[in-house]
Amino acid sequence: MTAAPRPALTGRPSIGRPFLALPAVLFLLAFFVLPLLDNGLRSVVPADGQGLTASRYVQVLTDPFYLDSILQTVLLSGVVTLICALIGYPVAYYLVRHAGRLSSLIIFLLIAPLLTSIIMRTYGWQVLFARRGLINTWLVQDLGLIERPLRVLDTPGLVVASLVHVLVPFMVLSIAAVLQGVDRRLEESAQLLGASPWRTFLSVTLPLSLDGIGTGAILVFMVANGSFVTLVLLGGGLKTLPLLIYQQFNTTRDFGLASAMSTVLLAVALVCLILQLRLVRRSGA
Amino acid sequence: MTDLTRRSLLRTSAAAGTAALAGFPALAQTLAQSREITVTALGGVWEEAVRKSFVAPFEQKTGAKANVLLGSPPQWLSQVEANPQNPPIDVIITTPDLAITAAKTDLLDPFTTERLPNLADIPEEFTKALSGKGTVFDYGVAGITYNKKTVKNPPKSFREFVDRTAAGEWTASLPGLTYAVTPIMLIWTLAKALGGGVENVDPFFQAMARMRKNVVFWGGPNDFFNHLSSGEADIGIYFDGRTWAHVDAGADWMDFVNPSEGGSINALAVIKPKNAKPLAWDYIDVMLSPEAQLRFATMLNYPVTNRKVVYPDALKRRFTPWQQAHFPPYEEIAKVRSSWVDRWNREIRG
Repeated sequence: MTAAPRPALTGRPSIGRPFLALPAVLFLLAFFVLPLLDNGLRSVVPADGQGLTASRYVQVLTDPFYLDSILQTVLLSGVVTLICALIGYPVAYYLVRHAGRLSSLIIFLLIAPLLTSIIMRTYGWQVLFARRGLINTWLVQDLGLIERPLRVLDTPGLVVASLVHVLVPFMVLSIAAVLQGVDRRLEESAQLLGASPWRTFLSVTLPLSLDGIGTGAILVFMVANGSFVTLVLLGGGLKTLPLLIYQQFNTTRDFGLASAMSTVLLAVALVCLILQLRLVRRSGA
Repeated sequence: MTDLTRRSLLRTSAAAGTAALAGFPALAQTLAQSREITVTALGGVWEEAVRKSFVAPFEQKTGAKANVLLGSPPQWLSQVEANPQNPPIDVIITTPDLAITAAKTDLLDPFTTERLPNLADIPEEFTKALSGKGTVFDYGVAGITYNKKTVKNPPKSFREFVDRTAAGEWTASLPGLTYAVTPIMLIWTLAKALGGGVENVDPFFQAMARMRKNVVFWGGPNDFFNHLSSGEADIGIYFDGRTWAHVDAGADWMDFVNPSEGGSINALAVIKPKNAKPLAWDYIDVMLSPEAQLRFATMLNYPVTNRKVVYPDALKRRFTPWQQAHFPPYEEIAKVRSSWVDRWNREIRG
């Protein structure tokens, strides 16, 4: 059998098609590649403008304080990603397999937090969990369950909760999109061959949906990696790289060190991205 | 009748566009832009005060337009540094330390009474402090602001504030390092009040170590108000003017103490980038005029610097004359600011 010839999109020769990508390439060049090069240059030009130096990179990559900051950045993003996956998968599964007519409502509820400004959302956490906020007032005064108010604000736990709150929709929607495409007949075949529902899930459904988890994890990790406003407003004693970069711009105006830190942050993000992609591929997705 | 084909439409549009670019509209646009300047304001009530006190009289006087850009001084200066030949901003309000840094890198035009007649009524100290390349137009005092409902007996001094915070009598909200002025309004101010100074900030870091478990940090002035109104904190280091603005807006549970050691002046300066439009001088002169300054002071509850301004009694009672507060040694602080920030990062988690 001979495949039917693919219809041409236009009557013009295909030689012009690469030019269709030109606007996107120019855009990326102007607003990503060139600023990145400029940033890289700033990070190696010393304050007096004479010659080049790697001293800032040495500082960031050898000083225990900055190494700890890199670790905190990666750990925070990793924990947020893990929690988003643990919460997001069951929600996505329910959304695809059981929600039926409720699916639109669930999707709306999922993306509802994204409709509010991040600052308002963060202030919402403050109103709820302040020392004399709603929750502590209930627990201490109204219910008398505890004597002293809980200290929830300014803790890493609330920073994580706040980031999960806003990032979990990315995970759910990524997983749901892949789960939607899983062939149900494969699961039915497994069950016909004697696999329990749990075994079917572990051996068939989960491996087939790993691609969605991978996509969601990359999205969540990358956004959490660069998150800044939540940490500024909720504190938590964390000193992640984005916070330190902002400090250099806003407080000390040491642009060289800020540039070096942002290059390191980008490199860390890329390494994590590659590791995640490899992990997902090795798992068979 | 001519058929309207895609090709003819494109041809006609291109011809029209070329004509428009080459002809009078371009000239008209250039002329319009020369009658427009970009000025700066902080957000919230500040923006409103800038629009009513400075922008409106400037536009009325000159017939030109002043576009207000919101943001923060470091951001505005970065924009000018990125394009000094054609700065995107014509008038910048900034903290004096940043103004001094900008003046050193030759980014600013000098202020003279020939260009700014109203400069003659601003105390010379405020212009000299900025190497003559800008002047202070308003200031506040950083002292102790508290919630009257939860702090019945407020501290009278910074020292007492530190001791009672360390003792856990309340939770205090202090400016964090993401706020650009923190090295001055907190580190230097407390170090000085506790016996140190620019050359010795150990007293500050020792005090922070004692207070840390009862402290939360604010990232911007609005955070402080949220900390107090939500009950997360009871007291903190904050500005007098912003406290009074909140009180006037209905937060009558707030009050301010000017500590016995003397609060620190937190001034705001106005500067003009080199190569900014000449119209910027007219705007700055309006900013320095007694009428505009009085209106600004009335709206923001911050004292201003023009000697001819006569405050109403209600404001006079609230304002601390600049001679009775401490003017920070900005140049000296600028030299050690990075080391303070580094030490804070390593010793204080917040």
